[in-house]
Amino acid sequence: MSALDVTFVTADRTVWTGRAAQVVVPAVDGSMGILPQMQPTLAILGDGAIRIVDESGAVEERIVHGGFVSVDSDVVTIGVDDAETAPAGTSRV
Amino acid sequence: MGAQQRVYKQRIKSAQGMKKIFKAKEMVAASRIAKAHARVLATTPYADALTRAIGSVATHSSEVSHPFLQADRHETGRVGILSITADRGMTGPYSHNVIRASEQLANTLRDQGKDPVMYVVGRKGDSYYRFRNRPPQRSWTPYKEPDLPDLGREIAGVVTEDLLAEDPAQHIDELYVVGTRFESRFLQKTRSVRLVPMGLVEAEDAGDHQAFPLYDFAPDPESVIAELLPRYVESRIINILLQAMASEHASTQRAMKTATDNAETQIHKFTRLANSARQAEITQEITEIVGGADALSGSGRTER
Repeated sequence: MSALDVTFVTADRTVWTGRAAQVVVPAVDGSMGILPQMQPTLAILGDGAIRIVDESGAVEERIVHGGFVSVDSDVVTIGVDDAETAPAGTSRV
Repeated sequence: MGAQQRVYKQRIKSAQGMKKIFKAKEMVAASRIAKAHARVLATTPYADALTRAIGSVATHSSEVSHPFLQADRHETGRVGILSITADRGMTGPYSHNVIRASEQLANTLRDQGKDPVMYVVGRKGDSYYRFRNRPPQRSWTPYKEPDLPDLGREIAGVVTEDLLAEDPAQHIDELYVVGTRFESRFLQKTRSVRLVPMGLVEAEDAGDHQAFPLYDFAPDPESVIAELLPRYVESRIINILLQAMASEHASTQRAMKTATDNAETQIHKFTRLANSARQAEITQEITEIVGGADALSGSGRTER
């Protein structure tokens, strides 16, 4: 299975970049899961947690408030205003 | 020690003191340039991501419309100018160049029958306009270097609100930003850019993109573009602020380098003068002693 090429940036820095198996983002109209081979999408984000599951199954979680995500041929770009580290204990699958 | 010498010694002391201060400021500025420049570069991925996203909306949905994209936004004739100056002095011509460029732009706009509205960042620009009894519409001062992204967000919030306002007393038609572009450590350029209305450049060959006709927008293209464009303005403003900060440090470094050199010249000059004053004093004393001795021997007395 192919993987997602993820770039996760805020206005002034890069938060996370690398390859991932799955990404879950809080779109304005509900949580959206992104898997490889997904159709090209451009979505606006609401408030919530972004979860990036990398190829080994480790989970990276950040709380965001608004932003956007674009998916185009397995390249995922997430741009947000501010990414806070999620409180401990919530970052397990 | 003679009075003359004392004056020179004093001048040398004060020049030495100033030199130390200039040198310290120069080194502080030099060490901050690299850090400030790294922060400018760190905003690039976000800006690229946004530009690509806006580009894909424009390419994939036939009709995009947004107040920021209308070429003719003429409503009230008010035009916003955001000028970014320094908070501190000792930055060489940095703040003044920005103020001059803003004034030029404002004059050009006035000639076109528009009414410039000033938004100012930094104490130097703010005091310039206040002194001339033309207080800016809004000014942000003083600001802290680590908080620039937050400041950028706040500014973007205010100008976006004014750009979209219905109230003719608040609405602005266009937005220009006057800042300093950081080309390199040795070259910074003052420039004015128009942020709104922005021009969308059509992709040259739309053929490639036909492969993905089903670009999915959530919730829909209109709200996506409505969300992305203010973000774009915000990211541009933050980028320009950070570049201005890096330029300010570079300009400070250059100004302080010159000041240090001048202090050195001054010290050199006064050392020479003090030396010749001391020599003149010694010569005078010897002349007096010799003259006295001559006078004594001439009088014919042998003992004192």
